[in-house]
Amino acid sequence: MSFLNSYIYYIGAFGLILIGLYIILVKHNLIKVIIGLGILDTGVNLFLISVGYITKGTAPIFSRPGIDSELMVDPVPQALVLTAIVIGVAVLALALSLAIRLYQHYQTLNLRKIKEQRW
Amino acid sequence: MVNPVLLIAVPLGFAFAIPLFALFWKASTKYIPPVALAFNLIVSLELLTKVFENPVIVSIGGWRPPFCINLVAGPVGVLFSAIIALVGFLVSIYALDYIKEGTTEGYHTLSLLLLTGATGVVLTGDIFNLFVFFEILCISSYALVAYLRDKAGIESAVKYLIQGAVGSSLLLIGIGLLYGLFGTLNMADIAAKIDSVSPISLFVPMVLLITGLGVEAAIFPLNAWLPDAHSSAPSSISAILSGIAIEVGLYAVVRVVFTIFGASSILLFLALLGVLTLLIGEICAFSQNNIKRMLAYSSIGQIGLILFALSIATSGGVTGGLFQLVSHTLAKALLFLAVGYIIYRTGSLQISEFEGVGKKMPLTCLAFTIGVFSLVGLPPFIGFPSKFLIVQAALATKETIFIMLIGLALLGTVIEVAYFFRVIQAMYFKGEEGKPQAQNIAFRHPNKPNVGTREAPVAALIPIFVFVVLIVVFGIYPKLVTDVLNSAATEFLHRYDYIRSVLG
Repeated sequence: MSFLNSYIYYIGAFGLILIGLYIILVKHNLIKVIIGLGILDTGVNLFLISVGYITKGTAPIFSRPGIDSELMVDPVPQALVLTAIVIGVAVLALALSLAIRLYQHYQTLNLRKIKEQRW
Repeated sequence: MVNPVLLIAVPLGFAFAIPLFALFWKASTKYIPPVALAFNLIVSLELLTKVFENPVIVSIGGWRPPFCINLVAGPVGVLFSAIIALVGFLVSIYALDYIKEGTTEGYHTLSLLLLTGATGVVLTGDIFNLFVFFEILCISSYALVAYLRDKAGIESAVKYLIQGAVGSSLLLIGIGLLYGLFGTLNMADIAAKIDSVSPISLFVPMVLLITGLGVEAAIFPLNAWLPDAHSSAPSSISAILSGIAIEVGLYAVVRVVFTIFGASSILLFLALLGVLTLLIGEICAFSQNNIKRMLAYSSIGQIGLILFALSIATSGGVTGGLFQLVSHTLAKALLFLAVGYIIYRTGSLQISEFEGVGKKMPLTCLAFTIGVFSLVGLPPFIGFPSKFLIVQAALATKETIFIMLIGLALLGTVIEVAYFFRVIQAMYFKGEEGKPQAQNIAFRHPNKPNVGTREAPVAALIPIFVFVVLIVVFGIYPKLVTDVLNSAATEFLHRYDYIRSVLG
């Protein structure tokens, strides 16, 4: 069990990443593919957070006395994740707006049926 | 001395000012990108003379590296930012007349953001910052590919977005793994500590970083989006995407391989990938009838050649690769800009419809021909010295594998000659004897087809001919750029100098 306790976040993160990649590769519906992108993003964010995670950790505020610096979590991954979330939101919003346009042109969201451009 | 931060801050500020200007005076917005990029060009050129001995390191927030986000304006960074500003400036002048319909202020905002992102990628010294600027570049290019809102543009943008987003996620996982290993995001700091862990644990982050960045650099198995995206965008954006965006992606790959990992064992693999990319691109371009798809595939081929040259990893090879990069940027931007108006006037993307254009639009076609001659490497244009340097460097390695690969690369050039000269033949040497207007494929242009025999307007001819002059001048006097390219190659090859200059 101690193995699970220390690695559960990594397992979860890579589980989400793999689920996201699977959806993107296999599903035909554009909305599902975008959902896959969202899950992939979430997995990556969870992974970044777990890099700096400490069990029962606290905020890294040095000016407050009486806090063990061993227990302070690393703030850098959290800053990274904030940025990554914002970027992910922008990409998802753009993808959804493109999906609306795509539907207006083709009356379908099935990516296997939309094949005007090819090699 | 000017602060290199301005190279990013000024265009970023202008980009977000454009929607505000559009509220009051919409016609003014198109003049903002040329102003911002002219500023960037002047600052880059001024910095270029100063960074030869010591790169300028800018630490943001008053902390010393590796604790802050820093910019490294070394020879490579400033060279790239000068090229980006130059091409961006000329293309933005072209766009003054070319982009008339649609939400033009959106176009100008996004194109300026794209160029800001590109400048940020080449100047930053922090790997997460590189990711952020990369995303600025990618997101604006997804939106710009879909600018015309037609079928092809939207479909290509969706493809590009899905592949690009997966690539960015892989890149971010790689960055996370590197942070977990080294506890730092500063590229020089990671590079300094890279020997302290076993090579096995570095393999996964390296593969993730190269794959993630390789999507944007269009290295062979990852380039399915490129021909669609580059051919469906407006021609001015195709010029920026082909001339800048993929080169910046390639810069990031090379920076990761050379500077961060110092990985010499992977170079042969990259050289093989480069030649494979080159052959695939040229062979696909050969079978195209659509002029913009042909140019897009030709970009894939050129990227392969540049990657091959950089992977030789000798001073001559890297100089040749960077030279080829500059020459491809100039020539491909010129070709896309010229083709933009040829398509506009003939109302078609099919090469067979270009018959007799050479007589109707002599200046544009002359520029197109010069671009083609430079791209295939005829003297006295810039493509000749760059390809010559690459061949020389490959032969100088005296290794059988590199000599065989350069033979294959030259075979690719022969294919390139064959398909490009087909276009020139159609332009100049085929008659126009009462051929009926064929039903051509869906017309894609921001403006209504303005079929006629007139030349391109002056606002388009000026940037086109500035490119022509640059191509001829650098072709006749390659010494003008080789000094800068040599010091840039030194920055790539001597990673300890880079580390020392950043960390002090």
